[in-house]
Amino acid sequence: MHGAKNSLGIILFPAFDWSISPTHPEREERLLYTQDQLKEEGLFDIEGVDEHKPGVATREDVERAHFCFPEVEAVATRSHMVAAGGTITAADLVMTGRHKRAFALVRPPGHHAMKVVQGSRGFCNINIEAVMIEHLREKHGVKKIAVVDTDCHHGDGTQDIYWHDPDVLFISLHQDGRTLYPGSGFPKDCGGPGALGRTINIPLPPGTGDEGYLMVMERIVLPILKDFAPELVVNSAGQDNHFTDPITNMNLTAQGYARMTELLKPDLAVLEGGYAIQGALPYVNLAIALSLAGLDYSGVREPAYDAVKHRQRPDLADYIERLCDTIPDVYFHPPKEATDGFIVPQNSGDWFVRHKDIYYDTDDITEAQTEELFLCGSCRGLLKVVSRTTKNPACLGIEIPLGACDACRSLGYSIYEEAQVKEGYRYAQFINRRDREYQRHGF
Amino acid sequence: MYLGIDVGGTHTDAVALDETGIKAQVKVKTDQTDLLASVNQALVSILETVKPEVVRQLNLSTTLSTNAIVQGTTEDVGMLVIPGPGISADEYMLCRDYHVLSGATDHRGTETDRLDEDQAKAAIASCRASGVRVFGCVGKFSTRNPLHENTLRQLLGVDSDYVTLGHELGGRLNFPRRLATAYFNCAVWRVFNAFADAVEKSLAELGLGHVRVNTLKADGGTFPLAQARRMPVQSIFSGPAASVMGIIALCDITRDSVILDIGGTTTDIAVFVDGQPLVENDGINIGSHPTLVRALKVRSIGIGGDSAINVLGEAVRVGPNRLGPSLADSIPAGAGLPVNSRPTLIDALNVTGACAHGNVEASRLGMAEFAARHSIQPDMLAGQAVAAAAEAIYASTQELLAEINDKPVYTIHELLEGRRVAPGRVYLMGGPAAAMKEAVRQRFELFTVVPEHFGVANAIGAALTRNTASLELFADTEKGVMFIPALRHRENVPRTYSLADAERDAMNHMLAHLSEMGVFADRDNAQVTHASSFNMVNEGRTTGRNIRVKCQIKPGVAFTLNGQPLGQAARRTPGESLEKATGQATGKTGGRG
Repeated sequence: MHGAKNSLGIILFPAFDWSISPTHPEREERLLYTQDQLKEEGLFDIEGVDEHKPGVATREDVERAHFCFPEVEAVATRSHMVAAGGTITAADLVMTGRHKRAFALVRPPGHHAMKVVQGSRGFCNINIEAVMIEHLREKHGVKKIAVVDTDCHHGDGTQDIYWHDPDVLFISLHQDGRTLYPGSGFPKDCGGPGALGRTINIPLPPGTGDEGYLMVMERIVLPILKDFAPELVVNSAGQDNHFTDPITNMNLTAQGYARMTELLKPDLAVLEGGYAIQGALPYVNLAIALSLAGLDYSGVREPAYDAVKHRQRPDLADYIERLCDTIPDVYFHPPKEATDGFIVPQNSGDWFVRHKDIYYDTDDITEAQTEELFLCGSCRGLLKVVSRTTKNPACLGIEIPLGACDACRSLGYSIYEEAQVKEGYRYAQFINRRDREYQRHGF
Repeated sequence: MYLGIDVGGTHTDAVALDETGIKAQVKVKTDQTDLLASVNQALVSILETVKPEVVRQLNLSTTLSTNAIVQGTTEDVGMLVIPGPGISADEYMLCRDYHVLSGATDHRGTETDRLDEDQAKAAIASCRASGVRVFGCVGKFSTRNPLHENTLRQLLGVDSDYVTLGHELGGRLNFPRRLATAYFNCAVWRVFNAFADAVEKSLAELGLGHVRVNTLKADGGTFPLAQARRMPVQSIFSGPAASVMGIIALCDITRDSVILDIGGTTTDIAVFVDGQPLVENDGINIGSHPTLVRALKVRSIGIGGDSAINVLGEAVRVGPNRLGPSLADSIPAGAGLPVNSRPTLIDALNVTGACAHGNVEASRLGMAEFAARHSIQPDMLAGQAVAAAAEAIYASTQELLAEINDKPVYTIHELLEGRRVAPGRVYLMGGPAAAMKEAVRQRFELFTVVPEHFGVANAIGAALTRNTASLELFADTEKGVMFIPALRHRENVPRTYSLADAERDAMNHMLAHLSEMGVFADRDNAQVTHASSFNMVNEGRTTGRNIRVKCQIKPGVAFTLNGQPLGQAARRTPGESLEKATGQATGKTGGRG
């Protein structure tokens, strides 16, 4: 057997004791056959490919990425913490040079989890990519990161967390929001006032196959990545674009996934969705792992594959071509002003305010959120979030960002102190990334 | 009376013993070109003291299969391979007559592509045309559904000498390992069976025809010779396991320890956790090929009593090359030294006064001459050589420990999670053990033990090692099938078949199988090591359960020899204190959920 061209660490955490409900797509059985397939293929005997045990994320690891109300432990089970810990392990393997690339094959998934977490939405509680990215910044000093989300659903959680962050480029390829959960992710949504053009949404028509995905990779994603020149590329590797997936309508094959991975060359891949657990996942995961390791994947073919039936419809090519012509502009010539909020002048200066209504479909919670970003000018700006849900009364989140200026730092402290004095909030969370201070109030 | 024979690379050790102690022991030089002669020589010496009629059992550990593979005296094998989709099977081409066939079975055991029988027939014809008489048939996921392998056996018919089917090697998943294991099993099949025939003939001639013969495996257990004839690959690398089991029989090990077996050519390093030996998680490598052959975790380094001393600039090293026996062993008393003779570790130990082995004068002269060639004082050179050997052993031990602490650790009983291994003692055995004790103690800075009978501990281990067995059960209640690959047992089960049913069936089948082979079915040492059940769901409905169970007979020794009073030797498993073992003998089964 040839050794791997790119040494690859795989963190396999199938969470065999966790499910949303016994018959839910996100259940114990989900990675069972994938694990069987990887073992039977002898993947971990290949020189340069190793399996590693996942670590466990700490509360602090999660709080670097989220405001959790009422607290981390209330919204995340041990399985969530291990899945998040698995991504941290993956990051460490690559950053310490132990492996060139790493693949966190973990569940439960995370890309629908937004900055504020009040429960589970789209099967996600904790955004495991965001936990990993914040770990990379905090512990390894990585600054510029690109996340390419190839899950079939729009990665609205990751988008929300990095909406105002010019150093994290977020690109999502997904089935058009007009035809699939969560119904968002249109090209016009391209980032907050300080990060315009750093969120790129590529909605694809139902039925898109290998051809379409590869075209988008080559004509949109790769040129943008080349220009952005990130230190690390992260792939949110959802596998629900597969032609057998029960809850989506795309036509991607295991070969298409492998080729896409080969083009993207991610340093870190993290499993997201994918619910055709018998007919797709074992083959797609194998193909992605082989592709990451630089090994021959040409023999990986799902039993249900039919070259005629699973070809992309010819008329889709024109549509996707038009996307390829227009979407790069969002990055290269972003709009001058953000349109999803409005500027509110206060004594301290200008604030950018957004109102969001968020529905947590898995837990049936409705949230009304007001997000305020201080338009600082010398740093990324203080972030303040007020969240009310059908479960919790008003909750407050304050984040002093990494590299915050002195003014934002003291502003953050004064708002937090004021909130404690006035007692207007049931729960308050205070995250000071600059000085690594994490406080909670109201528990 | 139990006989144990360990045919090693340098020496063949044999002992005869019973619960009261060792009755006879012998060490003869191994003739690598005629292992049977070495075995016979050892047996004849033992029978000078022990009457044949009192012998009940002979356990044999040989390097036969290993040698055949290393020396390339194995037989050509026809490999019929059904890989299905995935990594190309051409990557694993092990031999000339290697045929990749169409057909596929998926992870649940569903046939997703039919076996191309015409292609298979053509492949068989091609093998026969080149004179192949033994065949390995291996399919991906054949441990879930052996249909294609069984069809190939039918197509092969009676016109072949031996056929290994992949699923018979056990239920573990790993197609490349299954391929390699089936290949090596076929490759050594004829040479092993010829040897087994010869051994049985010798035994009959020596009046030992009534003796039950077992063969040692690398996993610290034995299996009956009849079984070994079918699965000779399991007899490979059993030597280190014999030593480890010997230490268990001789010492009451209860904590984290290092076991060093210093032989003529190599030193085997093993690590005990809480008094239990560690096992390799997957299986050993034969050549560069990973296999499914289970083994105790042992690391070998090329340092032994006969390892040559080297001087490279300022540095003194020992091994890894072996230039024949030591001067102390090879030069007759009073004879002169040959030109440019090279002293070994044993000679160095003779010079430092750590031992007085063989011709001590030859060691002194040889060391003096060698030291003069490198302008060093002979005493200093000898001292440095012994220290260098201890240093190399220490460094390898540290490497092994680092590796163990980096990965999940499996003992013979279970998987240990998050356990850091920190040895507190060193046990030394093998020929130079006593002589090396001080050097090892100084380098490891740990309490160092050299047990009584240290020179033949390996043969004692061989003699006392019990039968072991393990099997995997796989059930799919949606398909209504239960399958135990190792036993080729497949039966229909109802939709209500549960994990508890599966655990019970796995255990019963294992014990019944042992009974059929005429082995004492040791229920007390049987345990379930893995049991899981997954609900399978299709379109929101539960359609069945996917059940996996593994069970094993734990390795152990028949009794121990650590100074127990006459007649009270307890059967016990390594690691358990004696009291606990007695408690267990009152009927508790060693099962684990």
